[in-house]
Amino acid sequence: MNAATLALRVEGIEASRQKTRRLKFLTWAVVLVAVAWSIQVIVVRDTDWSRISLASLLDIAKRFVELDASVVSEDLWKASLETVVMATLATVVGLLMSIPVAWLGAANITPFGKSSYAVGRFLMTMSRSVHEIVWGLIFVSAVGLGALAGVLAMAVRSIGFISKTIAEAIEDVDPKPLEAIRAAGGTKFQILWFAILPQIIPVFVGNMIFEWDINIRRSTIMGLVGAGGLGLLLFRQMAMSNYGGIAVVILAVLALIIFGEVASHYARRAVI
Amino acid sequence: MKAVLEVKDLRAGYAEREILKGVSFTLGPDDFFAIIGPSGAGKSTLIRCVNRLVEPKGGQVLFNGVDLLKLSYPEMRMQRRNIGMIFQEFNLIERLSVMDNVLTGRLGYTGTLRSILRMYTKDDIAQALRLLDRVGLAEHVDKRADRLSGGQRQRVGIARALIQNPKLLLVDEPTSSLDPKISREVMTLIREIAREFHIPVLCNIHDVDLACDFCTRVIGLQDGVKKFDGRPDELDKAALQDIYAMEVL
Repeated sequence: MNAATLALRVEGIEASRQKTRRLKFLTWAVVLVAVAWSIQVIVVRDTDWSRISLASLLDIAKRFVELDASVVSEDLWKASLETVVMATLATVVGLLMSIPVAWLGAANITPFGKSSYAVGRFLMTMSRSVHEIVWGLIFVSAVGLGALAGVLAMAVRSIGFISKTIAEAIEDVDPKPLEAIRAAGGTKFQILWFAILPQIIPVFVGNMIFEWDINIRRSTIMGLVGAGGLGLLLFRQMAMSNYGGIAVVILAVLALIIFGEVASHYARRAVI
Repeated sequence: MKAVLEVKDLRAGYAEREILKGVSFTLGPDDFFAIIGPSGAGKSTLIRCVNRLVEPKGGQVLFNGVDLLKLSYPEMRMQRRNIGMIFQEFNLIERLSVMDNVLTGRLGYTGTLRSILRMYTKDDIAQALRLLDRVGLAEHVDKRADRLSGGQRQRVGIARALIQNPKLLLVDEPTSSLDPKISREVMTLIREIAREFHIPVLCNIHDVDLACDFCTRVIGLQDGVKKFDGRPDELDKAALQDIYAMEVL
């Protein structure tokens, strides 16, 4: 390449890089304007600012801070325990239901090609696209009020995340061990058991713990639709506008979530 | 002639496992050193101790008279700009273009903000193009790195090291991921470039034939100890057996 060609090509490269850069700036500017506009329309214009004052905020805060000790009773302990048990059960049931869904929805091992893959993916999407409270309403009408409805609702809601991550882990496995088992004359099940399973176990266990952690959060509100756990107590205090009582239940929820966080930290360390 | 790199009694490893047990050698301005030895002998660790990608435990690494092991992190960063490195697995950023990969070699000279906006100077771009032309990739400038073959990717790696204007080249198993023919081409290119730009080279290589054909001196490493240090023609069967004794057993 002589000096003249070089200079010419440098000009060309410089120009195209500048163009890319301008396009990037422009994109960011558009995004920024869109965000600012959304804030204006949704938050600034839509809020009744005259209602909000320092005094009103302090007043509400005061009502919450005056805790209602009478709520701390055997009911609260029972409901807290129920919440944790519900979350654990829901995770286990959800996990069991996730295995076949993941098997269908992993492109590389799905048994009947595109059709079964589509079924697997549809089940995952269905589980995730319906909110847990809505699943709760469905199961309360199916099996009646109580913890069973909550467990089923959370289990079904868990399928979406667990099966999707398992399926993706299966799709991302290193194909070399599979090749080795196949070359040794292994069956499809042996390939699954000896080559795929060991590779996905860490993802599998990690996500299960994560889902359990999420289910503890979910089970604290299942009671809002009569599906058991702490939520029922919360709902009752809210119906009575007993702010001090609401605060006590919220603190109990917080304690459970912290417990879940700590427990999953140690569980992850122990297993992975 | 003044030494570019002086390594004295270099030690590395952990408490329970020593990887380098006091290695010393001196590299002159026109030298092309090969470090050979069995797997696990500490070849890679030795090279990485020079630019402190691996933190040594003791000894001295004098680079143009400066002891690199005594430098603070910012000072070491300044020195790293003068030391180019070529990697076994090329270590390219796969999603970036060939041009942008080469330009990452200028990051040591480019401020953080400018680099995020990818605003390299015109001189840098011209130099990148010149080097890509030199390594035979003038037609692949805009391609993404993952679209290239192994040999081409290593050429990008070489151009990236060269755009630093290095005073020393560290080369870590440049041919292990390449077939024999391409390996020779890449080694030829590295040797030509070393002569052209007067850059001394410290090169890890497990292929003894390649080491002898391309290098001016060979260092034989075994289990963290220097077993051989001499010209390639002095490396006879007895010396090789000494270096590779562990593997024979």
